[in-house]
Amino acid sequence: MPPPPLPIAPPDTDPPGIDQQTLLAALRARVARLEGAGREGHGAAPIPVCEGLGLSGGGLARAALHEILAAEPGCGAAFAAMLLGRAGGTVLWIGAGAEALTAWPPGLARFGLLPANLILLRAAQWSDALWAMEEALRCPAVAGVLLAPDWAGDPAAQALDLTASRRLQLAAEAGGGIGLLLRPDMAEPPPSVAASRWRIAAQNAAGAGQGIGDPCWRLELLRQRGGRPGGPWTVTWRAAAGQIDRESEALEAESA
Amino acid sequence: MTAPRRYLALHLPAFATDRLRRAEPDLPQDVPLAIWASQGPRRLLSAVDLRAWAAGLRPGQALADAQAIAPDLLLRPADPEGDLRLLEGLALWARRYTPLAALDAPDGLLLDITGCDHLWGGEAALLAEAQERLWRAGFAVRGAVAGAAATAGALARAHGDGPVAPSGAEAEWVGPLSIAPALRLDPALLEQLGGLGLMTVADLLRLPRPGLARRFGVDLLDRLDALAGRRHAPLRPVLSPPDLGAARDLVEPIITRTAIDALLDRLLDQLCAKLRAAGRGARQVVLMAWRVDGAVQEVAIGTGTPLRAPAHLRHLFRDRLERLEPGLGFERMALEARVTEPMSGGLQSALAIGGRRDEAAAQLLAQLLDRLRQRVKVRRLAPRDGHWPERSVAALPLLAPMPEMPVGWVRPDAPVLLLRRPQPIEVVALLPDDPPALLRWRNRPHPVLRAEGPRRLEPEWWRGPGVARDYHQVALASGARLWLFRAGPPEAARWMLHGHLP
Repeated sequence: MPPPPLPIAPPDTDPPGIDQQTLLAALRARVARLEGAGREGHGAAPIPVCEGLGLSGGGLARAALHEILAAEPGCGAAFAAMLLGRAGGTVLWIGAGAEALTAWPPGLARFGLLPANLILLRAAQWSDALWAMEEALRCPAVAGVLLAPDWAGDPAAQALDLTASRRLQLAAEAGGGIGLLLRPDMAEPPPSVAASRWRIAAQNAAGAGQGIGDPCWRLELLRQRGGRPGGPWTVTWRAAAGQIDRESEALEAESA
Repeated sequence: MTAPRRYLALHLPAFATDRLRRAEPDLPQDVPLAIWASQGPRRLLSAVDLRAWAAGLRPGQALADAQAIAPDLLLRPADPEGDLRLLEGLALWARRYTPLAALDAPDGLLLDITGCDHLWGGEAALLAEAQERLWRAGFAVRGAVAGAAATAGALARAHGDGPVAPSGAEAEWVGPLSIAPALRLDPALLEQLGGLGLMTVADLLRLPRPGLARRFGVDLLDRLDALAGRRHAPLRPVLSPPDLGAARDLVEPIITRTAIDALLDRLLDQLCAKLRAAGRGARQVVLMAWRVDGAVQEVAIGTGTPLRAPAHLRHLFRDRLERLEPGLGFERMALEARVTEPMSGGLQSALAIGGRRDEAAAQLLAQLLDRLRQRVKVRRLAPRDGHWPERSVAALPLLAPMPEMPVGWVRPDAPVLLLRRPQPIEVVALLPDDPPALLRWRNRPHPVLRAEGPRRLEPEWWRGPGVARDYHQVALASGARLWLFRAGPPEAARWMLHGHLP
């Protein structure tokens, strides 16, 4: 009796039915797994930023480090406060350097970061600030940590090299909270392992109006892990709704 | 009835010169050494060592005379602060015998050894032990034990052979002592007494008290009474005794970090067991390490909540132990819980941060904050009703529950970042009461596109007089938004930058 036919290996071509899109998606998922973005095991949803920005995963991943390059300290702090308020839990705000500019709870509360959840830290030394950030990120009871350098200080003395940012990223993965780095904007930001990098600048709202109006920012996603960069977008903070709204694209094109 | 108190006095007759010889080990041993100080225009010897004493030098002699008597005399200027510092160091060192160790300035120590002597095999043995150790550390020392601090001090100074006087017999023991070393009076008074033929303490004790007080002052009577045990002055210890502690003496001094860690573990276990038995938790714990050469080093940690978990305390100590400098090794280490609070059942009482119900998470957070507090400043700000921004928040204990936000506390014009001190800024306004039209900031002129204000914030009247501030929000052409105020009389108003708006 002849032996039953052995199952043969599939031919070395794409089987019909798997199109390029599916393949790409599978590859992306695999890269994401390799990069560790899938290590979210904490079961918490990503933190939403704004409708219609096309973020991979629908928002900022927790258990990861994100960078915000701000042209002005005010808009950067407000954007960060909005994200940290949405993290839903205890937040540590670490200020480095001299105590000239401090996070101001009544203002941060406008963006959803309530004083009950906020703990302020002040580290005179940059190395102490990094240490505090790492320790805090490693703690599972902390929902978010922000590190802001001395805005008027020497940027070289407050640099964050690749090793340091990797340490912070690993700490965030261990603890599960979100880590934010709020830094002054620079032309050529040094490389880092942050899961996303944003650039934010304050903008004057289009159109005339009485008074100072709602805060309006120009937001740009410089890079994100597992996704494409995007923007710039013009967004406006709506205090009543407690969220930022993206201007229509036509208006954006006009203002750009 | 409580047992009578017992005091041990140590007197270092050549303290200042011994300190010098310890600090400068290469000083030749066979040459007399003396210390001088200026008194007005004159330079006088303030202390001499034994060799100089044998050569006929005495404190109080003029420097020139002393140099004529002993031409090879080594001289050093006096350093009373340095002496006092070292004496305080020695008092800390003496806490190995009792938690109540006090200075007996300028050259002695007083220890309350009530109930401590049995650990060393009796008062005489304890005295011998302390003298032996000080002698090995390079100090000439004499000591005495008595039922009153002043009695012990006088016996140590004037008796010389380490007596142990029973309580209640102070007057008999101090009677034969000569007045000068026992009472430590000033030289003029001593001369007066000597002129009257009063040489011993007993001579003075025999005289009628009112006459003594009238003629020589109440101070002399007070000293006499203290000496005779009739009047007890409380000892002022260098450090108040700890609530709870654990200590260990080491036969072999330890140097390595591994050995120190292992010892710390054992001490922490002991201390935490004691805390548990007492139903308390520690808020401040200090590790004291006695070095072989007599130096005492301290490492202190503080915690946000009362604690008695050895693992957590160990973690807090871990980074701080680097500060210890073992030198030739530590011969004794002790842990002291200096501040403790009641703590029930092993649970953390405060779970207030973030309104958490989750006990495990609250514990983790409290531990994290304890760790952070060792190196950085950690604070929480609670909302408060106040007119000015600086006064609308108040510092809150780290683990206290957060009060409700007052209505209207979150204002739509509040800045997200505040300058700790308002900073002067150059502003051009069309009219004095107008909002700014142009301002100079970061060395560049910035036209103001939009502005809102003024909002006048008066100082709180109950805080005394102050100047009202008119706050403006401005948006610059660059997009930056700032929070400024104008204060002062109309003709000389000043503009200040106070915050960054989103």
